[in-house]
Amino acid sequence: MWKLTLAGVFCLVLLTVALGAQALTPSHHLSLSDVDRLKGLLSQPFTDLASAYYSIVGLSKLGASVADENDACQFLKAQLDPMSVDSLFFAAEASQAIADCEMPVFNETRDILLAAVSEDSTVTQIFRAVSALSSLGLPLASQEVVAALVARIAKEDNVLAITTALQTATRLSQQAELGGILEEIEDLAARLDDLGGVYLQFEEGLEATALFVTAAYTLSDHADTEPPLKEDQVIQLVNSVFSKKSWDSRSEAFSVACAAAALSSNRFHVPVIVSTQGPATVSHSQPILHLLVTDILSNPLASANLLVESAQAVASKSVVLSQAPFSLRNGIFELNFMASQPASGYYQFTVAVTGDSRLVANQVELKVKVSTEVAVTNMDLSVVDKDQSIGTKTSRVDYPFKAKGSFTADSHQNFAMNFQLVDANTGVELTPHQTFVRFHNQKTGQEVVFVAEPDSKNLYKFELDTAERKSEFDSMSGTYVLHLIVGDATLENPILWNVADVVLKFLDEEAPAAIQSKTLYMPKPDIQHLFREPEKKPPTVVSNTFTALVLSPFLLLLILWFKLGANISNFSLSPSSVLFHVGHACMLGLMYVYWTHLNMFQTLKYLAIIGSLTFLAGNRMLAQKAVKRLASK
Amino acid sequence: MSNSVISVISRFLEEYTTKTSNKLKVVDAYLFYILLTGALQFLYCLLVGTFPFNSFLAGFILCVGAFILGVCLRIQINPDNKGDFLSISQERAFADFLLAHTVLHLVVINFIG
Repeated sequence: MWKLTLAGVFCLVLLTVALGAQALTPSHHLSLSDVDRLKGLLSQPFTDLASAYYSIVGLSKLGASVADENDACQFLKAQLDPMSVDSLFFAAEASQAIADCEMPVFNETRDILLAAVSEDSTVTQIFRAVSALSSLGLPLASQEVVAALVARIAKEDNVLAITTALQTATRLSQQAELGGILEEIEDLAARLDDLGGVYLQFEEGLEATALFVTAAYTLSDHADTEPPLKEDQVIQLVNSVFSKKSWDSRSEAFSVACAAAALSSNRFHVPVIVSTQGPATVSHSQPILHLLVTDILSNPLASANLLVESAQAVASKSVVLSQAPFSLRNGIFELNFMASQPASGYYQFTVAVTGDSRLVANQVELKVKVSTEVAVTNMDLSVVDKDQSIGTKTSRVDYPFKAKGSFTADSHQNFAMNFQLVDANTGVELTPHQTFVRFHNQKTGQEVVFVAEPDSKNLYKFELDTAERKSEFDSMSGTYVLHLIVGDATLENPILWNVADVVLKFLDEEAPAAIQSKTLYMPKPDIQHLFREPEKKPPTVVSNTFTALVLSPFLLLLILWFKLGANISNFSLSPSSVLFHVGHACMLGLMYVYWTHLNMFQTLKYLAIIGSLTFLAGNRMLAQKAVKRLASK
Repeated sequence: MSNSVISVISRFLEEYTTKTSNKLKVVDAYLFYILLTGALQFLYCLLVGTFPFNSFLAGFILCVGAFILGVCLRIQINPDNKGDFLSISQERAFADFLLAHTVLHLVVINFIG
């Protein structure tokens, strides 16, 4: 039962490892030219102790040294100010990097440096004092330093301060209580910003990130504890620190140099870079794939073995190679891939670097191209009659020669071309991306391109129906030069082959009008804007007649009323009735004015005024009338 | 057949001239005038075309509306219908007629363009 569970757990672990195999790989590192540029920046002449420190110590981290070491040593001694902690720090550290360079130590030096180690100095001051003490070989009390650091971290909670505290801890004795400070690495790592899953950096910038990397790994080595950084985080930090290839200041270059040194030679995580030497292409003439395995400073790794875990064809997904080791020659790993006789195309390689348990990102995916040469075989040209479909004239043409006679095709005939494309080395049939048939009329400059397509047996066929395609040729009869164009990314020898001359005869040949493109770009005729035409109105006579006609019933009305005996004899001249009639007339007049001048709002305003007056007057008048009527009843 | 139609019409005319009061005849004359005006407008539209359509509509709607209001007035002041309109006196009917006409005129003048 225990064996079963153990096997189960093992399988689960293997599965997670397999799934996690799609890990991140570094997209940036320092190539040899980058390292030279970095060294160049650091080798610039220095003018003060700080720049001297950056240059001397930075170059030593990269394995180089300043131009004239004696001069540098003299410079340090001359510039040293024994009363300043900073000055002592720069001089002491720099002199450590130069062989046979000793700084003079005065009696007061030790006191000044020890005085700086207290809760009241900044972390930078403590760091510089501790470093100077340790470089000058003076004794210091590690536990006091730890206490001071812990107190300062609580007060100065920024990234640079904590990084400096980590650096300080690397100079202390291993017996001191460094646990609390070691935990700061993890807290600080949590403050990093993840950019797109590719970069991990502090918002304070490149220098802060690089200094953090240096401090974390130096302290981890010193305390012999693995840093709490995951593999992906390490790769993301590598990307952030080494993506910038030209540095603004000496201190930035110094921080990058320190980070590079820390990442290439610490005891826990060493990121490995696998790169191709030249383009990742193999062919029959160059069958060997060359790979370089280096650390981030582009130094070849001492004890590394490279293995192809699998090589899979991208198109067919078949695995061509599995678990094949590379052989090492002159520091370059080689594999003869053509020995596995791969077909031409692209292959996805998964390679693994083994040999050192510290290696990080040691599984890399590469795309390798296998190219080949193409040969055109069995090229047959023929002119076929449409109704008979018997070839009247089939001729075989060999590459790179041209057909001897020319081929004539008129509207009753088709011009046909059959050929095969094979791999020149293996004889396998190929289907390249570009197989074009180009007709070029030398006289008119016309060019018509068609695509030749393979059938199910990978035989290429091209047929030109003269009548059907006449629009593409603009019905221009004449001699056309025929070219075959074959191309592909995996072909080393693209083909442009003048196969034959073809004379095409079209029906209803249009007059040789100038090539359409000439008139295409001339100004076109102006477009005159057609304004909206007013509607057709009837003649004025008609409308005037009808106006009179429409108004005439009013006369009829007056006549009828007169005949009925309607009169205004009962009209009482009381003020209300006068006012009413006047108001009413005003309202009718307002209607006319509304039609000619006013808008609705103005009309409503006037109507309200006149209307209310008329209403009141009318009310009074009608009441009086009602009374009169009832009284007379 | 035509005989009965003619006799009906002549009987109707006779009753109308004798039985209807003068007041109502005045209103009837007014209604006849409105009718004529509307018909003539419509005739013009048929003959000459509908341009401008909004003016034609305004004029025609005015005639139709005025006719309807006239008919309402006639119904309300007819003494035979007094039983149906107990709360509305003749003056009140006339006042309503005037008010409705004001609104109608406002709308029509707005629309006539």
